[in-house]
Amino acid sequence: MAAKFEYTQAEEIRDAFARHGVRYLFIGKSGAILLGFPDTTQDADLFVEKSEANGRSIVQALDDLGFELTLAQKDEIERGKDFVQLKNGPFDLDLVFAPDGIETFEDAWARRVEVEGFTVCHPADIVASKKAANRVKDRESLPRLEAFLEYWRERNR
Amino acid sequence: MRAPEGDEARQWREEFEAAARRPLRTRFRYAFVRTYKPVLDDATYRSFDTLSEYRAWCERELPRWLGYGREV
Repeated sequence: MAAKFEYTQAEEIRDAFARHGVRYLFIGKSGAILLGFPDTTQDADLFVEKSEANGRSIVQALDDLGFELTLAQKDEIERGKDFVQLKNGPFDLDLVFAPDGIETFEDAWARRVEVEGFTVCHPADIVASKKAANRVKDRESLPRLEAFLEYWRERNR
Repeated sequence: MRAPEGDEARQWREEFEAAARRPLRTRFRYAFVRTYKPVLDDATYRSFDTLSEYRAWCERELPRWLGYGREV
C-alpha cells in the first residue's frame, strides 16, 4: 500500500505533467480539497484528456514520477481506457478519461480553476460528476459539497 | 439526498471559512488519509474500457460497506 498523498506529491504531479504538456484536471474530492473544501480523501483523481498524444505525455510523466508500468499498461494509457487505477507508484492515482456527468474534457477545461499552478475542475463539475456517479459514498458527501459550491461561488463572485 | 439539519449548514460554513484562512499546504496535510481498502488495494494496476464497466466491477467485487456501490 502506498503512503498517503502529500502536498509535495501534488506538486510533483503538477510539475511532471507540465513538463510533458499533459492536459489534466484534478477532479473528485482531491480537486475539491485543492479548491478549499475541508474534508478527507485517500487518493488523487485526475481527469485527463483522451487523445493519443496526451496518453503518451501521461506515460512519460508517470515514468518521471516513479510509476512502474509494463509496456502493456503504457499502451492502455496511451490508447485511453476510460478508467485506470494506479497503485504501482509512490502514491495512488486514478486516471479518469471520461468521468460521469461531464460531457467533454474541453467543456471542463474551459471552466477550470487554477490554484497555485494546479489545474482543477470547476466545483460545479465536481458536484455534477459525483451526482451522476451516485455511489453511496458520493451521496454521503454531496450535501456538504453542494454547500461548499455555494460558498465558493459567493467568495469568487 | 439529505439536506443539512439545524445548525449543520452554519457549522459547515464556519468550516469553509476556517479552511479558506489556511494555506493550501496545511489543508493538504490533514486532508489525505490512508487506510487499507480490501480488494481495491489488492492489485497494483487496473484498467477498464468504460467507466460503467468499472462501476459494475465495484458493485460485484467490493465489500458494500466501502460505499463504492449504488445500494447500501
